[in-house]
Amino acid sequence: MFLYLPLTEFWRTLLASFVGLLTLVGIMTRPFRWTESHIAMGGAVSLLLLGLIRPADAALTLLRDWNTFLFFLGMMGLSAMAETAGLFDWLAVQAARLAARSAKRLFLNVFLLGTAITMIFSNDATALILTPVVYVLVTKLRLPVLPYLFACTFIADTASFLLPISNPINIIVMSHYPLPLLTFLRLLFIPCLVVIAINFGIFFLLYRSQLKGTFNPDRLPSAENAIKHPAYFRYTLCVLAIVAPSYVIASALQFPLSTVAVAGALLLVAGALYWKRTTLVEAGKGISWSIFGFIAGMFIVVRAIEDTGLTVKFGNLLLRLSGGSSFGAVMVGTFGSALGTNLINNVPMAVVMNSALGSVQHAAPAIRNGFVAATIFGCDLGPNLTTVGSMATILWLLILRERDVEVSGLDYFKVGVLVTPVMLFAGALTIWLLL
Amino acid sequence: MRVLGCLDGSNGELIGNAVQMFTTSDEPLTIALLAVIDAGPRQDIDRMRERFWRPPMHHQPVTAEMLAAETAAAQETLNAGLAYAKAAETLVRQGRPELEIVNAAAEWRAEVIVIGARTEYGEPPHIGPHSVGHVARFVLDHAPCPVLLVRPLAREQFPINR
Repeated sequence: MFLYLPLTEFWRTLLASFVGLLTLVGIMTRPFRWTESHIAMGGAVSLLLLGLIRPADAALTLLRDWNTFLFFLGMMGLSAMAETAGLFDWLAVQAARLAARSAKRLFLNVFLLGTAITMIFSNDATALILTPVVYVLVTKLRLPVLPYLFACTFIADTASFLLPISNPINIIVMSHYPLPLLTFLRLLFIPCLVVIAINFGIFFLLYRSQLKGTFNPDRLPSAENAIKHPAYFRYTLCVLAIVAPSYVIASALQFPLSTVAVAGALLLVAGALYWKRTTLVEAGKGISWSIFGFIAGMFIVVRAIEDTGLTVKFGNLLLRLSGGSSFGAVMVGTFGSALGTNLINNVPMAVVMNSALGSVQHAAPAIRNGFVAATIFGCDLGPNLTTVGSMATILWLLILRERDVEVSGLDYFKVGVLVTPVMLFAGALTIWLLL
Repeated sequence: MRVLGCLDGSNGELIGNAVQMFTTSDEPLTIALLAVIDAGPRQDIDRMRERFWRPPMHHQPVTAEMLAAETAAAQETLNAGLAYAKAAETLVRQGRPELEIVNAAAEWRAEVIVIGARTEYGEPPHIGPHSVGHVARFVLDHAPCPVLLVRPLAREQFPINR
């Protein structure tokens, strides 16, 4: 409506910034228990109603990012269908068998399994599907639960920049700033191996006393029981054997990765329907539909802020803070993104950074690539600082603690605060050395 | 006398024997053994789901498996204590262990709580600073009755340097 009123550019900028800021603060604090999705959508609808963004521009923004939306859909579908096949339970039992009674070796195997699942299915699958599976497994084995849970939740983020498909954040950033596969592997895969090693090393030291024991293999559930339907299980393995290399080939050819993910998910859904392992309604329940509203809302809100020139100013600020050096670019990009992910969650931060990175496109290639790789790295690994949620969640947990209520989330926070800055610094340093 | 022994899955013998120490009391002895299913990991998993825009775990297929594994572990924990305190009642609670212990003690009208200093994972008993874990510390601070803190013998770690 204001679009048609004679508002000066100053007032339009002020209003759009105010709505944008309110949306981000809303996502941080989630007043009245509103979901992030409702808040982001509310922000976008307000901007449209106020005429601060044209409907055509909003639609164009969403269409331009079709790859991100489809990737989320395909990724969640693949994980849900692989879970239906019992793949994650089966893999967890195999990891325990290979551990040969040793709690320590099982800990290492959980790290390796989490790494492999994150690499192929994305961090979502490790955090949401593998974690409860491992919880059941170690409870049955009468091992201390916490080290293994921490291993799953941390490795989900720590291993999430091994490949472009290991975290949807990578797709969000790379849809705007594509990195050739070899550049991605050099700047992110290798640093990822470094931070995984650091993560494992520190955790091993922290939990060494709890990992001294052995477990009785007779308590292990049978791997055959994990397989809900043998034919569908074999079919799932075959589909994944095609999907995994297809991801790598598509990345190398700069082909949209969402098409591979969606095709793989459709194949698995078709198989599950054929063998009557699911229904369309059940398959739909495996998808978090609200995330699409959240991302769409964020894209529109950030686009409106972008039109005011604020994100360009933010980008210029980042460039100035970097001092025009590749080292500064990597450090500012990494720690800025990591801090932002803990304030407003990693998806909004990646969208904001996407917009801000427009300012560094004309910088030297080392600085440009440094910023892009550091943004992916910071947004992917940053959430480990407050693993169980955003800074707002942690503040709430601290308030509860003050009221003498014992809260478990703080255990994660303590470990995150100890481990994550070390990993961030070591990873950023590796990226800089490889630039 | 009503004595509540708190089991943690690794101290059945220690607690089972410790609660028997009150047998010599003139009063009739009633013993209960308590196992708490820690709800912390489930809360953490739910917070993680929230971060990934998913609803809490209720009604997920894996929830039933989690419950079955937790219940079986709690029963085994109680059995380990019952091997030493055969006539004991058994209590199972679900929640934060420290809160459940003090609340169960109040509800069951315990006159003494017997609790281990900390969970030992097959290591020699830990003595010195931080030898009392956070659950036992909370119980010492908040218990509605006297608390007997027990730990395995650690004579081999002596003498302590003077």
